[in-house]
Amino acid sequence: MTDFLSLWADSLPQLLLATVKVTIPLSIIAFVLALVVAVLATAMRLSGIRPLQWISRFYVWLFRGTPILVQLFIIFYGLPAAGITLSAWTSAILAFTLNTGAYAAETLRASVQSIPRGQLEAARTLNYTGWQTVRHVVAPQALRIALPPLGNDLIDLVKGTSLVMVITLADVFQVGRQIAATNFQPLALYAEVAVIYLAIFTVLSLLQSRLERVSNRYIRSSHA
Amino acid sequence: MLELTDVSKSFGDTTVLRGITLALPNGETTVILGPSGSGKSTLLRTMNLLEVPESGRLDINGDSVTFGAQLTRRQISAIRRRSAMVFQGYNLFPHETVLDNVAMPPALNGKADRVTARARAVELLESVGMGHRLEEYPDNLSGGQQQRVAIARALAVEPDYLLFDEPTSALDPELEAEVIRVMVDLARERRSLVVVTHNIGFARRVADRIVFLADGGIGFDGAPEDFFASDSERIRRYLNVFDAV
Repeated sequence: MTDFLSLWADSLPQLLLATVKVTIPLSIIAFVLALVVAVLATAMRLSGIRPLQWISRFYVWLFRGTPILVQLFIIFYGLPAAGITLSAWTSAILAFTLNTGAYAAETLRASVQSIPRGQLEAARTLNYTGWQTVRHVVAPQALRIALPPLGNDLIDLVKGTSLVMVITLADVFQVGRQIAATNFQPLALYAEVAVIYLAIFTVLSLLQSRLERVSNRYIRSSHA
Repeated sequence: MLELTDVSKSFGDTTVLRGITLALPNGETTVILGPSGSGKSTLLRTMNLLEVPESGRLDINGDSVTFGAQLTRRQISAIRRRSAMVFQGYNLFPHETVLDNVAMPPALNGKADRVTARARAVELLESVGMGHRLEEYPDNLSGGQQQRVAIARALAVEPDYLLFDEPTSALDPELEAEVIRVMVDLARERRSLVVVTHNIGFARRVADRIVFLADGGIGFDGAPEDFFASDSERIRRYLNVFDAV
């Protein structure tokens, strides 16, 4: 047991460094960009303009329908053959943004569509413009509904970043692998990596439940 | 004056309004009655363009649209600002406080700056007996309270005509009474009200005018005294349903 703990103590700085340098920034950047993409895709999907709807549906279909691992390979190893060479970082950000964006777009679309028709009629009878309806009626309510599933998308993204080693990025998992390969202690190292993911997950869960509490403040507690 | 001229509307194969012509002067309370499925709500919603008929014409105090061609946003907006709807299901914005529900619409419409809109909203909410719940969210209110806030919200955009679509059908009798009281006050102030309701008592006591719809057409249009004394078989049959309850 003391061996285990000293192993952990020795390797922890390197693992935390990889977490802070790759896993966390990649997750944050990709998630923020994914939200932008998702909002765009949702707006296009609900625009009522056929070609835009098709583009949005095609995008979601493509990126939900293929594994993230394959997407990483195509972008990093495949595109150079077509003359497009991206760095490992850019490839990772691109792949995770588009992948998470596709899931988040579905989440947002479902949330918007679950807003009761009466809300839109109220906005119409009060002569709100289209933008005012989105800004003051649809978005605030859709966001509340979307918050829990979006939180899940983020958590999936964080865990998914453990795949970036295949395109040469040294995230926390990859660094753990490297250490395990030199000290022949795979169980200790991989358990340590798992604990780091759990710690991130726990923080995100707490953050999520706090956010949900704020966003649910107008819902009577009896049916919140 | 709110005038509908030869307005027809169908949903798929079902014709709901058949060439309705109607003129409602300002300052009157008109109650639209009729059996369910007779097109009452559709007729009312047409006045606010929540439904757009296939043909006919709508004039409200100088703004007009002719149905059939695609309406422009500007046309819709011009007609829509002439009236405001109070819904059966209230349709308050759940994420806004009572005060914001009433203060935001005129501010967003550019009818008033935010400070003025808030001050006016407080007055309106006080006038419907909701001045004590300004910072509450709609979900924490009874149905009757929500509907009174919805009436204040409709008043806040300063419409010429207030349209009520079965405003008390979702309410228990005692809650219904508090909403009806507010509506009676508005009628006494000579606001222009158009009310679709099953509350025959309101029609009898408050209406200046009854419009009776049957099968998408106007079966009666006139004074309440004449309506309730009518010997039309269709009207008697309709009224008997209420007597039986």
